[in-house]
Amino acid sequence: MYNFNVRYYDGRLSIAHDATLTLMPDHWLIHYRDPSGELTSVRWAVPGIVTDENFSSLFIFRFGEFPQQTLECKDDSLPATLRQRYPERIFFKKGITRVFKWSNGAIAGLALVLLTLLGLGYWFGLPWLAGAAASRFPVRTEVSMGNTMYENMIQAYDVDQRLTAATNDFAKSIDFKTPYPISITVVKKDEVNAFALPGGHIVVFDGIIRKMKTKEEFAALLAHEVSHVHYRHSLRNIFRSLGGYLFLSLLLNDINGIVTVLADNSNMLANLTYSRELETEADQKAMAIFQADGLDLKGFVDLFTVLKSEHGDMGSLKLLSTHPLTEERLRAAEEMAEGQNGVKEDDELEIKWHTIEKTLNK
Amino acid sequence: MEQQETRQVTFHGEGAKLFGIYIVNILLTLVTFGLYYPWARAALLKYMYEESEFEGSRFTFHGTGKEMFIGFIKAIGIFLGLYCVLLGGILSQKPTFMMIGLAVFYIGFLLLIPIAIHGALRYRTSRSSWRGIHFGYPGDRKEFLNMFIVGCIITLVTFGIYGAWLVIEIRKYIFKNLRFGNITFSYEGEGGAFFWLNVKGYFLTLITLGIYSFWWVKDLFGYYVNNIRMYQGDTRLTFRSTATAGGYFKLIVVNMLIIVLSLGLATPWAIVRAMQFVFANIHIDGPLDVDAIEQTEGDYSDATGEDLADMIDIGIV
Repeated sequence: MYNFNVRYYDGRLSIAHDATLTLMPDHWLIHYRDPSGELTSVRWAVPGIVTDENFSSLFIFRFGEFPQQTLECKDDSLPATLRQRYPERIFFKKGITRVFKWSNGAIAGLALVLLTLLGLGYWFGLPWLAGAAASRFPVRTEVSMGNTMYENMIQAYDVDQRLTAATNDFAKSIDFKTPYPISITVVKKDEVNAFALPGGHIVVFDGIIRKMKTKEEFAALLAHEVSHVHYRHSLRNIFRSLGGYLFLSLLLNDINGIVTVLADNSNMLANLTYSRELETEADQKAMAIFQADGLDLKGFVDLFTVLKSEHGDMGSLKLLSTHPLTEERLRAAEEMAEGQNGVKEDDELEIKWHTIEKTLNK
Repeated sequence: MEQQETRQVTFHGEGAKLFGIYIVNILLTLVTFGLYYPWARAALLKYMYEESEFEGSRFTFHGTGKEMFIGFIKAIGIFLGLYCVLLGGILSQKPTFMMIGLAVFYIGFLLLIPIAIHGALRYRTSRSSWRGIHFGYPGDRKEFLNMFIVGCIITLVTFGIYGAWLVIEIRKYIFKNLRFGNITFSYEGEGGAFFWLNVKGYFLTLITLGIYSFWWVKDLFGYYVNNIRMYQGDTRLTFRSTATAGGYFKLIVVNMLIIVLSLGLATPWAIVRAMQFVFANIHIDGPLDVDAIEQTEGDYSDATGEDLADMIDIGIV
């Protein structure tokens, strides 16, 4: 019962010997006939025997210094016999590779569970991590990072100094309820657009101001952008896409180009969904500012109407991200406006708005 | 006339098993923030080797995650260093520093490629065996580096034309230094023929809107395989490709469909198909005595020494 049919390689020559393995108390005995027909025996002392970790059903053992001798056995009863014969010696360690000796069905089941976990991690874990990382980012670093970004990008634009001054004056009259130093720059560009950088810089294209009729409309736009700054949306967006990129490149490191392209594109889509959530958050915060300051929420309704007519349904206020459907935002703003009470007429803001309008028409 | 002897390596891997290995690897790599990567790579190589069979015996990969981890950390250190230089140059916002940063980055990268190829070859071959006989690569790093750098410079100066000759030179050098026990190899390709093969392939692919590309890859594969020679004592054995353009067409199109339609999940099955295709289309012709390959000890101990340092047997490069 301690005899097994094995294949034996002596480590010096590539010849395969069909041999018999006998398990002795403190050593293994291997017998085979060499090509000349002579019976040869080899002795392996048990302590020197090493088990080869592998994925298949073949049991492989090695012995000795280089060049190592090798023994292969296909007999399924070998592990049980080894345990019985040498109770104090462990030949088969419980490693991760043991998993692969399961049936294909079990492996597929495990794989499915793991895939689900990966998916959950990607969809819920990553945005959470991005938020957590962004909230731990020091404000001073964020502001100086924002300044560097601002200085680099503003060179590409033609800044309207007078409008910038008038707009900053206008913004000072609104309490945005944020600790960030808000600084607005108006640039000459026909596009209906505006965007916020981390740390407090907001860039507004004069094209969008030209479309506006009321101070509330403009205040709504500024409140929305300030909310991006306040909630550190740029930073969260950066962490989210960076995290997604790292996650996917770790995942797909070994896999081919097509999959990488597929993954990159779906990661981009996932980013867009994420930034839509951020936009909604910014809208909500902006409306809260309006309510606290007693400004008329109709400004949002007008703003979204302008955006809708400009961009069709895909309104885009920020440079790199897509907003929620303008139609939806418009409806949400209308609802909020209906329920609003305690609207105050702010004369000072009205005067400042007229200054902006006058500067625009010059 | 006597029937010509021919032998083949066969691949027995299964998509499902490979899939399982990928998933476990990916998960552990993620959980450990990438540190598991060398073990993942070792597991994958072990599996691919043990499912490859020649004359009834499987190949073995002896490398371990622990060994590769050292190389992995070194590789990461080098890359971080290079990126820091580049980043430092860019952040300084001074044109001279930027130029220096860029230059160091690209030159460093250029030097790393041959070092990595050399280290990987040494490591991989010393850790590969069949019937207990180990492969080996006693090539010289300095010689290889020189050849590579000079070749790259000539390639630049000749607007890429010399690239074809460089590829052949590299193959010749590698095969000349490849050992399997006492079996040696050589590569008999020529730069000129390889160059025209590529020129023809490139233009015909353009003219036929890509259709010719299947013939082109078939020709490239054929040119690689058909020029490999193997020597056992005085016996010369030749490698022969049986790949056809139709075969490549089927492999590539079906694999693309498998990958795209499964959103990448079925990639392991595509890999298995590719492996089977490659092995099925390589024949080793000639009277090889598979029982008489002798171990040549030197190869193994060489690579375990100091040179382990430069094994970047890692997919980063």
